[in-house]
Amino acid sequence: MKLRKEMGLIMAERKIDPKVLQRINRVLKALFIAGTIFFILVPILLLFKISVSAPQDILTQHPPFLIKNFTWNHWKRVLAAGHIWVPLWKSVVVATSVALLGIMIAAPAAYVISRLPTGIKYGVLLAIFSTRMFPEVGIALPISVTFIRWGLVDTNFGLVLAHLIKVLPLMAWILTGTFDSIPKDLEQSALVDGCDKLQALVIVVLPLSLAGMAAASILCWLESWNEFTYAVYLCLADATLPLKTYYYVRRGNWFESAAYAVFLTIPVLIITFALQNYLKSDYLSGALKY
Amino acid sequence: MWTFRNGKFPVLSGSKLSKTKFDKVVKWVATLKILFKRYKLEMLMVLPLIIFILGFTLVPVLQCIYYSFQDPLTGAFPTLDNYRLIVGSRKFGDALKNTVLVTLIGLSLEMSVGMMVALLLTTKSRFRGIFRAITMIPMGVPTIVSGVIMLYIFSSNGYLNEFLYRIGVIKLPIDWAQGGLRTLFMVAIADMWKVTPLVIILLLSGLESIPSSIYEASAIDGATRFQNFFYITLPLIKPFFTIALIMRAIDAFRIFELPMVLAGRNTMFLGTYAYSEYFDYNNIHASGAASTILLLLIAAFVFGYIMMVGSREVEQ
Repeated sequence: MKLRKEMGLIMAERKIDPKVLQRINRVLKALFIAGTIFFILVPILLLFKISVSAPQDILTQHPPFLIKNFTWNHWKRVLAAGHIWVPLWKSVVVATSVALLGIMIAAPAAYVISRLPTGIKYGVLLAIFSTRMFPEVGIALPISVTFIRWGLVDTNFGLVLAHLIKVLPLMAWILTGTFDSIPKDLEQSALVDGCDKLQALVIVVLPLSLAGMAAASILCWLESWNEFTYAVYLCLADATLPLKTYYYVRRGNWFESAAYAVFLTIPVLIITFALQNYLKSDYLSGALKY
Repeated sequence: MWTFRNGKFPVLSGSKLSKTKFDKVVKWVATLKILFKRYKLEMLMVLPLIIFILGFTLVPVLQCIYYSFQDPLTGAFPTLDNYRLIVGSRKFGDALKNTVLVTLIGLSLEMSVGMMVALLLTTKSRFRGIFRAITMIPMGVPTIVSGVIMLYIFSSNGYLNEFLYRIGVIKLPIDWAQGGLRTLFMVAIADMWKVTPLVIILLLSGLESIPSSIYEASAIDGATRFQNFFYITLPLIKPFFTIALIMRAIDAFRIFELPMVLAGRNTMFLGTYAYSEYFDYNNIHASGAASTILLLLIAAFVFGYIMMVGSREVEQ
């Protein structure tokens, strides 16, 4: 405060026009925005650039910032070698099963949770969500030991189970918000009209919640698609796509890892953009408002 | 109260009070029965989720804690040998220090930058929509990919060194992954790039929930911008700030993918230390002990913060 007063005095002495100050403020703001955009976009552009530049552009002591020698060779090689298809298929299968199974387990539970009395509801939600506090390496270790005994290591089913650990709390959290937005009166009038509980659920609540369920399952699909920790613990022979990318990184192969990374990112970016509206605060901080 | 007498069925022991209490219990059981009957469908609907969370989250966590107290050779249960082993090793000490430091650095960077961007996003401007869309991009990039990208930037013939070289700050390339504070900064910045959008979203939803009438009132009272920020904005978005901070802190303590890709085996964090104990040395007990310490660290932070700031905001 004192500093501000002094600054004010100095300004008064020099008689700086407030309009000039405003302009300086605006310029600073624009610079900050430009800096942020630069900081966000440049890394992604560099990734694309590496996957399409010739080796002499990258493996030098002083790499150029712009694309000098353009080439599709890395992409052609990655696609022709065909090592990408098995992990890709595995990732797709696992992510899709996680999304479907997740909805089947989480949606009914979320409906019941959303119809609980308010106090108990937030208690239950907080308890479910606090499972995300446990370190993943701590959960993955016993899971891996148990799955080796059960013969579930390197199977899709084992990985789906492991991914559900991560996905279910998130799904229950989001879906409770969805069901909260469907008024209770609708079901009650259906009950008055002679439906039983199950019918009211299927005929009235289900159609209204489809959009929210779709959004939740897509988010969880992404979560599983990106997942790395459980995959490292549970995939020894056949890797998922993130794991395969990691192997190429370990080998120090820049171009392969760049191509794989781009491959991994494209569906995610598309979906994220398509789902902009659902990524808004309401879904993430649902329990903060009431 | 009722007690067991002569090994017979529970017999009520005397006084009036205990009888009413017993009645209460009977009533309670009856209501529970009715509840079960009436809400059979609901119970059935919640059951799968509860069973899954119990079986695949709580049991493994307990198992992990059990491993950490188990003797590696004999399997005898309560022993502190594993903890003695890892606490004595230098690698673990470094991992612990690195984890705490990277969390501190990362959190302060993310929260301050996130707050600035969120504040900018509330001011009206033509480009707000597109700026908002751009700030959300990193959230869609998989963590492993963000690690790969940062590897290109921070490697010794990477783009950061090239940039510094061209503007004339350095002559020889810096090895960012060599260890020490610069590696921690590298990991923290890589983490920040990926997760600041989440912080922005959470803080933004807080900022948008403040009614503009409050600012109008403060403008009438002649408040400056700084007063507005410190006396109105900050207290009102405190619950959102707390949530963002706790969510971020939990993830920062558990940091795993980025160190795996960026720091390799030189700079360990608790997560990667637990991983390497299991995969490199096949020692589930030491790995379990490291995970248990990580869990304690997270729990201590979360509960400490909530106790300090006051639990009221979180419960809201």
